[in-house]
Amino acid sequence: MPPDVVVETQNLTKVYRDFWGRRKVRALRALDMEIRRGEIFGLLGPNGSGKTTTIKLLLGLLFPTSGKALVFGRDATDVSKNERIGYLPEESYLYRFLNAEETLDFYGRLFDMPAKVRRERAAELITLVGLNKDKRRQLKEYSKGMARRIGLAQAMINDPDFILLDEPTSGLDPIGTREIKDLIIRLKEQGKTVLMSSHLLADVQDVCDRIAILHQGELKELGRVDSLLKLRDETEIRARGLSAEAQAEIRAVIERHQGNVLMMDNPTTTLEDLFLSIVRDSEARPGRRARPEEEK
Amino acid sequence: MVLENEPIPFGDWIAPALLFFLQAAGILALLALVGGYLIAAFRYGPLDGGDRVFRFLKRGLGDLIALSPRRVMALAWLAVQESLRRRVLVGFGVFLLILLFAGWFLDTDSNDPATLYISFVLTATTYLVLLMALFLSVFSLPADIKNKTIHTVVTKPVRPGEIVLGRIIGFSLIGTMLLALMGVFSYFFVVRLLNHTHEVEVASLEPLPGGSSDQRAGRTEPEHSHRHEVTLEADGTGSTNTVNGHWHEIDPVEDGDETRYVLGPPRGMFNARVPEYGELRFRDRSGAAVSRGINVGNEWKYRSFIEGATLAAAVWRFDGITPERYGDSLPIEMTVRVFRSHKGDIEQPIRGTLKLRNPRNIGIESAVEVFQAKDGTVNPIEIPRKLTTPEGRTIDLFEDLAPEGELEIEMQCLDSGQYFGVAKADLYLRARDASFQVNFIKGFLGIWVRMLLVTSLGVMFSTFLSGPVAMLATLAALVLGTSTGFIFDVAAGTVEGGGPAESFIRLVQQKNVTVQLEPGLTTDVVKAADVVFMAVMTSVTSLLPDFGQFDSVEYVAHGYDIPPDLLLVQVLSGVGFVIAMFAIGYFFLRMREVAR
Ligand SMILES: Nc1ncnc2c1ncn2[C@@H]1O[C@H](COP(=O)(O)OP(=O)(O)OP(=O)(O)O)[C@@H](O)[C@H]1O
Ligand SMILES: [Mg+2]
Repeated sequence: MPPDVVVETQNLTKVYRDFWGRRKVRALRALDMEIRRGEIFGLLGPNGSGKTTTIKLLLGLLFPTSGKALVFGRDATDVSKNERIGYLPEESYLYRFLNAEETLDFYGRLFDMPAKVRRERAAELITLVGLNKDKRRQLKEYSKGMARRIGLAQAMINDPDFILLDEPTSGLDPIGTREIKDLIIRLKEQGKTVLMSSHLLADVQDVCDRIAILHQGELKELGRVDSLLKLRDETEIRARGLSAEAQAEIRAVIERHQGNVLMMDNPTTTLEDLFLSIVRDSEARPGRRARPEEEK
Repeated sequence: MVLENEPIPFGDWIAPALLFFLQAAGILALLALVGGYLIAAFRYGPLDGGDRVFRFLKRGLGDLIALSPRRVMALAWLAVQESLRRRVLVGFGVFLLILLFAGWFLDTDSNDPATLYISFVLTATTYLVLLMALFLSVFSLPADIKNKTIHTVVTKPVRPGEIVLGRIIGFSLIGTMLLALMGVFSYFFVVRLLNHTHEVEVASLEPLPGGSSDQRAGRTEPEHSHRHEVTLEADGTGSTNTVNGHWHEIDPVEDGDETRYVLGPPRGMFNARVPEYGELRFRDRSGAAVSRGINVGNEWKYRSFIEGATLAAAVWRFDGITPERYGDSLPIEMTVRVFRSHKGDIEQPIRGTLKLRNPRNIGIESAVEVFQAKDGTVNPIEIPRKLTTPEGRTIDLFEDLAPEGELEIEMQCLDSGQYFGVAKADLYLRARDASFQVNFIKGFLGIWVRMLLVTSLGVMFSTFLSGPVAMLATLAALVLGTSTGFIFDVAAGTVEGGGPAESFIRLVQQKNVTVQLEPGLTTDVVKAADVVFMAVMTSVTSLLPDFGQFDSVEYVAHGYDIPPDLLLVQVLSGVGFVIAMFAIGYFFLRMREVAR
């Protein structure tokens, strides 16, 4: 295995069986893929398509029914690989009776980190995920998004080389989502490898270099995001200041060339963009409701 | 205390115990290895299977080396937090409540209140702590797996062994803390509740009949449902007699122009006697030397019996009898079990005699001293230094009877047709007393070891069973471990009514245990099933520690120092067992897909 391959699966298959060994679900079929160092890899697919199963197999939380999963060239069930990885589960499975500081300290101790390092690292991460105000509150009081944030901090306690994020943006508000995406991109800039799963295409599209699309446990598509998303036989036209006559003229030109017009409209900004600009405004000028239209 | 088993000296215990431990570990490891290989070979083929088993072992060794104290302590700390969160302290509250109400229902009238109180608090502590250890240890890991919180833990560089060990340590820490608290409270509870003094009934004071002229005798006012006889010296100091296991010192206090006599706190109530045992031999009814006396039935197996009004005798031989050790008298304490072959005069106690003899010079012996046997109670006897021979000559205990420090004490029964049952530990020299407080702590150490056993057993079962099932399994193991003797007896066929299947049939058919089952196919099948059942139960039981051996409550309660050997045996077998549980727990947790 070349040194810059972080994950390699060969014919990886998982069949969930019931207590009596009878087959229940074939959650993953013969998955072959590679994740290289420094890339952001997205696992896509509808609910129940096997994303979480794949991640758990890579972590050694599940044992493969057949095939192999290698992480850093070692078998996925080998505990020593965990020194270099971080994992954010689908839901934040943390100890509800601990507060944020205690949580990070506990996980830091599991990495055998000395007390001083743990303290510094915990403070840094709490600031990073924006939980400074709430760091002394027990996690059971946390909202879903706050729990997600502390889960993320927990996954980065050891400054891992490879981070597995199972639906990192679920439960987060749009700012949180944006922050996470920025964070993921920052991690990539630091040379880290990220594997994230999601069924929110927009998230994946924004950050991932390569994606794999799973459906009912089978790999449907694997490749670079830009090439996958480029639709070579469609053209998008956007212009400003066209009169109705000019528009009709362009329409006629397209029809003359046997094309059909899919859409020609005044483009609107996306809801996400709008929400973001409102929030940014209100942060810049606190205390007053942002009303962009009235200002004009 | 009436011992029913003799404690084994550590020296005799360690070698066989270690051998057994290694054997059991070897056999279990071999079984796991062969079983593991067969399963792996079946699933992956003989070669790949072998490779997997080999890698499993290699990584197991690696995991052991990589065991990090910091990680273990982090997991232990988590277990402590979890226990506190699960309100273990409520258990302590229950304990305090029990103590509070115990004052009402414990009988201060008892003629041995110290024993009653101590065994009560120790027993209550034992049950509470064991129950708590059971609940904590058994539900923790299954809950962690169910809540999936374990996912964030095992994806860190945590070895399965650390999860098992961390939990055992964490819950034991909680248990230790609770035990310490309960110990302190128990101690003060017992001491405070039994503490009392009496007033001397001044009107009852009269010159001591037969005493020197200025000694006086009288009695005290009743308190704690008893009163004492008092003897006062000329200067007003004195002491009371022993009632309900204690006595008081008396000091005069000038109060204006009258003198009051003030009694101190109870003395001699809390003891930790250190018995000095001898060797026991018997003589049969014709006076011939035998190694054992008569057997009067299975229930009485531990003791040998001597027949009254014959030459039958029990003879103890002691060493190290020197005036330096014993001073002016030899304190002995003895217990006999009385077996009446006819009722006789039931009001009259059976009488026996004691005689001291020089083992090196049979001719030198003391005159007999007659005692009245109270069945199964400890009878203290103070043997004075100056004794008389049967001929009326005065002899010295140390110089004439035990010039080399060796002494024989011979016991006989006087009443014809009645029997005395004795064992080696039934007559001993009370050489010295150890500290009661230390003994009390030693008693708690016995509870502590049991708490450790339950915790490790519970954690081990919880690595592969769900919480409630693990609890049942732990309870079953406790029951098996507490009734080892009985289970071996059932397996050997010495218990009426047969094994579990046969007993069940008898229960359903409402048949008495001594009724013969009708011969036939059913009976054969039932008996065969029992053979299988019992084979399984005995093999499981022989792997479990004998829980009875950890029970030292009786020692503390009856005022005997817990032999250091017993303590060592307890602690070492506890540690050995924890190691075994750790290994088994590791094995199961590693085999387990925690994300299922
Ligand atoms: N423990 C389990 N036992 C049995 N079947 C399971 C188990 N976990 C998952 N499955 C099944 O495996 C399939 C894949 O599940 P998985 O959780 O990997 O999906 P996913 O892609 O992560 O879905 P989502 O987007 O909802 O998180 C599903 O059909 C699911 O029902
Ligand atoms: Mg999922």
